Amino acid sequence: MRTGTIKARKLTVAPEKLGYFRYARVAGKVVLTNDVGEFHFLSEDDFRLFLRAELPEDHADIAQLRFKGFLREDLDTDAIADRVRRKKHFLPNGPHLHAVITTLRCNQSCRYCHASRADMSRVDTDMSLETAKKVVDFAMQTTSSYVNFEFQGGEPTINMAAIKFIVEYSKEKNKYENKVLVHSVVTNMTYMTEENANWLIENDVLVCTSLDGPEGLHNWNRAMTGNDPTNAYKDVVRWIKYFNQKYIEMGRDPNLWHVDALMTTTSKSLAMWKEVVDLYLELGIRSVHFRPLNPFGFATKTWHKIGYTPKEFNDVYVKVLDYVVQLNKEGHEIIEGTAATFLKKMLTARDPNFVDIRSPVGSGTGQIGYSYDGTIYPSDEGRMVAAMGDDIFAIGHVDSSTYEEIVRHPTVRAIAVASLLDSLPSCSTCFNAPYCGVRPLHNYMNGGDLFGQRPNTPKCAEYMHMTKQLFQRLIEDNEGEVEAIFRRWVIERPRTDDTSQ
Amino acid sequence: MSEEVGPQADLEELTYRADERRVSFIVDEEIYPRDAIYGAAYLFVDRCYLFLGRPSDRQIEVRLKPKSAGEVTDATLDALAGEFANELLNQVVRQRVGDATRDIREYYMARAFFGEESRSSIDALLAELDAEELEEDELEVSVPWDSPAEDGAGG
Repeated sequence: MRTGTIKARKLTVAPEKLGYFRYARVAGKVVLTNDVGEFHFLSEDDFRLFLRAELPEDHADIAQLRFKGFLREDLDTDAIADRVRRKKHFLPNGPHLHAVITTLRCNQSCRYCHASRADMSRVDTDMSLETAKKVVDFAMQTTSSYVNFEFQGGEPTINMAAIKFIVEYSKEKNKYENKVLVHSVVTNMTYMTEENANWLIENDVLVCTSLDGPEGLHNWNRAMTGNDPTNAYKDVVRWIKYFNQKYIEMGRDPNLWHVDALMTTTSKSLAMWKEVVDLYLELGIRSVHFRPLNPFGFATKTWHKIGYTPKEFNDVYVKVLDYVVQLNKEGHEIIEGTAATFLKKMLTARDPNFVDIRSPVGSGTGQIGYSYDGTIYPSDEGRMVAAMGDDIFAIGHVDSSTYEEIVRHPTVRAIAVASLLDSLPSCSTCFNAPYCGVRPLHNYMNGGDLFGQRPNTPKCAEYMHMTKQLFQRLIEDNEGEVEAIFRRWVIERPRTDDTSQ
Repeated sequence: MSEEVGPQADLEELTYRADERRVSFIVDEEIYPRDAIYGAAYLFVDRCYLFLGRPSDRQIEVRLKPKSAGEVTDATLDALAGEFANELLNQVVRQRVGDATRDIREYYMARAFFGEESRSSIDALLAELDAEELEEDELEVSVPWDSPAEDGAGG
């Protein structure tokens, strides 16, 4: 046994002269953040002066620190309250995202399938129109003034009858509910027909597809079932072009109306990150969403073949982010999706209300998932857990549950508590708290409890890394070029203003 | 810890013990609040097995044993000790700032969620700036596929 002594400079602090803040060290600077999402960069020496409230009045940063609420002097608590309310505008709303599983059947057998698909013969996993009606009747009770029915599967278009019914019935019902009503479908495009495509276009159903990368990679990740000779990649590309051309022919603004795509990253994708981004650019898809695998469904069984460590993902993510920024500098219009979500939290006054990255998480409070048989879950991920044999997240059924029973369900409350960053160990004091979000269902899948230990959760590593990377780029952005790009990434314009032209 | 070293008068000292596999501190609760000690220790749970003990009243022993299956050297243990000590100091700052601002935070949080909106000049200005940003968006690069209408709701 030996002994050692550590000598450290004291961090003298005059807390009675400071506003509330959290901090971290990034790229040689100290990053301060606070409850309204403001941030400020200080050198280490200035940070020590700041802690003691001894920054001189003529210091270049003093006015900004005061304006942002980092100093107690002139702190306008009523203004901060308004900004907190504005930031957390989603809290009183109720669930707006209603994920409807129209069928579990799927004609693809993806190596990472999170959805736990069923074979094409399993028509018993199609949602009946009777159940679809009850789903609409239930969902339209939400207190949210904005409702998005998002059709998922399986491959949801296999049960097009249910999609058509829900769209038409909800529109009819909305004549007296007067909500902002949106419909969207997440499709693999390999079951698409011209008739269905035209119907989706004419009925303003937003279309998102899965595109994992170039042909070899996409078809390796997303194999067709049985002996189906379909080239999945070619179908996706063909239908993206078809939809986009139709929107133009209808006079729709192509900046607002186009097919978007999501990718799922396997170990094979990591090596081809640049080809993936280039493909998205080539196809005119303006948002590439480089996101890691989730601990659900087949991915848990095939992890040894397709998985990777959080560090491996994060290392590649940096390359993707820098490449996308570089493309912007060259005049291309493309964003990285998750970065854009975090930047909206950092650079705008309102949280984007992305249900997976907010506090509390949206499960049950921002979204609800409906399985094909009418079972209700706080989110589609709850349904995925059930498909793996554990129905712990089943909270009711459209046949028998009331809206109040669901939104006040103990499971929903538990998930909210487990994802409220202000009350979680290490999250409550983490610099990333104003921007981050905890995924209790991921924690449950990874470690068996909703809370998890933050430093041990992959999402913590991913989000922490991502935010630090974004701050680093802002810190090193002497010319303001990167900030200008990031500020363009956070601007949204509602697509619904452009409908029915 | 090297970057933390400064003038002698401004120094804080922390002693640790180390053997071949672990490093341990005995931390005085009079100097370091218990929550700060727990908070610092918690941040190491991904890399270390942690053992907490009570060697005497108002003292907490923190033992950190790296989980790494690889070689653990004196240098890695010294570095680990330095990281823990740094985090301990940071946690004390966090706790003091949290304690000193608790009433203020409770006030503005309560007002935000249960009070009347005052529509302060800052808030009005931010709303105005948001509206201007939308007007000035010539490139419209950020239109998510499920872009919401009124409420900023995303999937």
